Amino acid sequence: MNSEPMRIRMTYAKLGNLRFIGHLDLQRLFERALRRTNLPLRYTQGFSPHMRINLASALPLGFIGEAEQMDFWLDQEVPLDEISNRLSKSLPAELILKHVQEIDNQKPSLQSSLLSSEFEIVLPGDLDPQVLLDQISTLLAQDSLPVQRRKKTVDLKHLILEWQLGSQALKPLLKITMKSTPLENGRPDELLALLGIDPADCVITRTKLIFSEE
Amino acid sequence: MQTINLNQLEKILYHVEKPGRYVGGEHNQILKDWESIRTRVCLVFPDIYDIGQPNLGLAILYDILNQQPDILAERSFAPWHDLEGQLRENKIPLFSLESKRPLAQFDIIGLSLPYESLYTNALNVLDLASIPLLASERGSDHPLIIAGGQACYNPEPMADFIDAFVIGEGEEVILEVIQAFEHLKQAGADHKALLQGLSKIPGVYVPSLYLVHYAQDGTISEFCPSDTQFPAFVTKRIVPELPAHPTHLIAPNIETVHDRLSIEIMRGCTRGCRFCHAGIVNRPVRQRSVAEILQIIEDGLASTGYEEISLLSLSSSDHTQILELTRAVYDKLHDRKVTVSLPSLRIASFSVELMDELRDLRPGGGFTLAPEAASPRMQAIINKPLDNEVFEETVRTVFEHGWLTLKLYYMIGLPGETMEDVQAILDAGKRVLAIGRQLRGNRVKVHLSIGNFIPKPHTPFQWYPLNSTDELQAKLDLLKVGVRRTGLKLSYNIPDNTLLEAWLSRGDRRLGQVIQRAWQLGAKFDAWGENDNMPFWRQAFSEIEIKPDFYAYRERNLDEILPWDHIHTGVTKTFLKRDLEWSKLGKTRKDCREQCYACGILDAFGKERPVSPLVYWGCP
Repeated sequence: MNSEPMRIRMTYAKLGNLRFIGHLDLQRLFERALRRTNLPLRYTQGFSPHMRINLASALPLGFIGEAEQMDFWLDQEVPLDEISNRLSKSLPAELILKHVQEIDNQKPSLQSSLLSSEFEIVLPGDLDPQVLLDQISTLLAQDSLPVQRRKKTVDLKHLILEWQLGSQALKPLLKITMKSTPLENGRPDELLALLGIDPADCVITRTKLIFSEE
Repeated sequence: MQTINLNQLEKILYHVEKPGRYVGGEHNQILKDWESIRTRVCLVFPDIYDIGQPNLGLAILYDILNQQPDILAERSFAPWHDLEGQLRENKIPLFSLESKRPLAQFDIIGLSLPYESLYTNALNVLDLASIPLLASERGSDHPLIIAGGQACYNPEPMADFIDAFVIGEGEEVILEVIQAFEHLKQAGADHKALLQGLSKIPGVYVPSLYLVHYAQDGTISEFCPSDTQFPAFVTKRIVPELPAHPTHLIAPNIETVHDRLSIEIMRGCTRGCRFCHAGIVNRPVRQRSVAEILQIIEDGLASTGYEEISLLSLSSSDHTQILELTRAVYDKLHDRKVTVSLPSLRIASFSVELMDELRDLRPGGGFTLAPEAASPRMQAIINKPLDNEVFEETVRTVFEHGWLTLKLYYMIGLPGETMEDVQAILDAGKRVLAIGRQLRGNRVKVHLSIGNFIPKPHTPFQWYPLNSTDELQAKLDLLKVGVRRTGLKLSYNIPDNTLLEAWLSRGDRRLGQVIQRAWQLGAKFDAWGENDNMPFWRQAFSEIEIKPDFYAYRERNLDEILPWDHIHTGVTKTFLKRDLEWSKLGKTRKDCREQCYACGILDAFGKERPVSPLVYWGCP
């Protein structure tokens, strides 16, 4: 029990109906799914032990996640392919296990090493790509893009690292990389709002999480 | 046929609170191929997902139906106000969670009606599904609407809207209904012939085949089948032995009100509390063996991943192997990081010892006991006698065994209750607090939780009037003033909130119009205290020109034809009358496992009683 735990990093996709499950519910869902695996899960010590799990970053409700990541810990070594098998069977159909790997316990947590996220946004097909391009360019040419989050104001411009407008199946496709640190977290739906586009009319996918070691 | 535009639906889901309520996709959800299935059933629980999904009855039927290769069962719940607004605005019909098909595309809608405050929601669900509300306006083009659940022991208030009620336990009869449905449809039966055919199944009540006549004073003068081929009364169905418990339960993706593995360890109760609807309608007592319960726990945990288990029954301490069970549960689960709750314990030190057996598996929080009445006189009237020494001994044991919070359930408004009887609740609370403080000091908390008695059909108290709002308020005021500076905590229900349940639970067929009108005016989610629908109900009663007091405040004559008299629970009206008489005399009955009082159950179901002594029935 007190020996070095095995730290597992899983990469998964969250799609379909599961897009509508929020972050806290997802955490509970993972705890239950992990219990169903019957793996020797590591719990915190103390009066009310909790399962040790650690999600990289909250995915906003409605977004598809293609390569989300989570760490969990086991009390004993278990072969990775067995972990992978049991996990696949225990997850709901629209949470898809992509990959498991063992991670050194000394490495920093997912949250603290997360730098940025890549998103792909399929925009409504009735938007003119040229007009859209001009709109985004004009918007991002401004010195700052203040957006209101609860009680604080955030400069969205500062959070946008890269962007590129293309197309996919006759619809405009915006690829955008935004900061995703605990202190500075970019939300592409806020950019859409500034463009006067309802995020509900788009398909937003977080395609990649970028960590400091990569 | 209208189909759901999924893109449009997804856009809408972006803008509603907790969209996870509407999408399904949970682990253990069953999604069958629509086209290759003969009969498609949508099970509807007309409250939000958070409340409906944990319902064990729903899980049982979902499991039974989906085990049949030719049947599929999907689920639907009442949408919360935000989604309802969006559905109506965008003209999207209510849909099932699994395949997102409109309810109107199913062959059968199985409506769960466990309590009366869901009636307006049930209408709302039908309306959102674009299904005509009135059974008389539906035909072969519409799904068959079947209802079941504990409220259906008085089906009359919902008679206008439901094609067929299943009275009693649905586990076996649901498949018979579907089988008959399939045969009749195959034989080319029209809607009328279908309903007539279904009425031949024992336990199935088709209200449209019956006629009601009323006397000048508003009481029923005659209730009879419209043709002699239909049964004059419908006896509930029971399962002689509790069937296999579902274990492949859906593990919800969002938090629900009972987010745990619920296991029914026993059905029915032998104690005979005279106010208790569940105690009468769920007879006889049947229980599961320790070995079976342990297996259900094992399989249920493995398939759901739950971290909490609740062992359910009406009176857990009365399970004949309860001590053995709690010990075995501890042995099995002590290193599995789960908690186990064992609600509905009798007032006896034994109950505390049972909880002790669970040791660290016990969830945190207080201990709960339900004396229901405090004065010996009231206790005799309701047939829940409680020796004061036993009570105090139990309370002492609770505090000595580590609990610091004790919650006590009492009822006010019981038949024959006086202010002295209400005062006795306060006195009991104070004594309990004194005992607690003496043993454990000032950290001890005692909480009095006060419910308002509502007379229920099929109980010995079914003839009694409800206490008036003024009476209930006076009793509450006495308690509210009485707890001041005592350290007792008091919680209670607003007297007006009990009215709706009082009207509907003993209502007749004429209330259908009132329910429909109240719903039209805006009544829904009636169980949610915060939205006050009372004005809608009052207006509906006044427009339909029916006096609500007739249902709530009238003492029924013992000879009166009661609206639910044609529904037989197995317990005879003769027994109920005798028990009422005993109540008036202050005579109590023992646990009926010790002595049979001939309630009628064995006459009605004796033939179904399993021969095997391994199958436990509570009757002597």
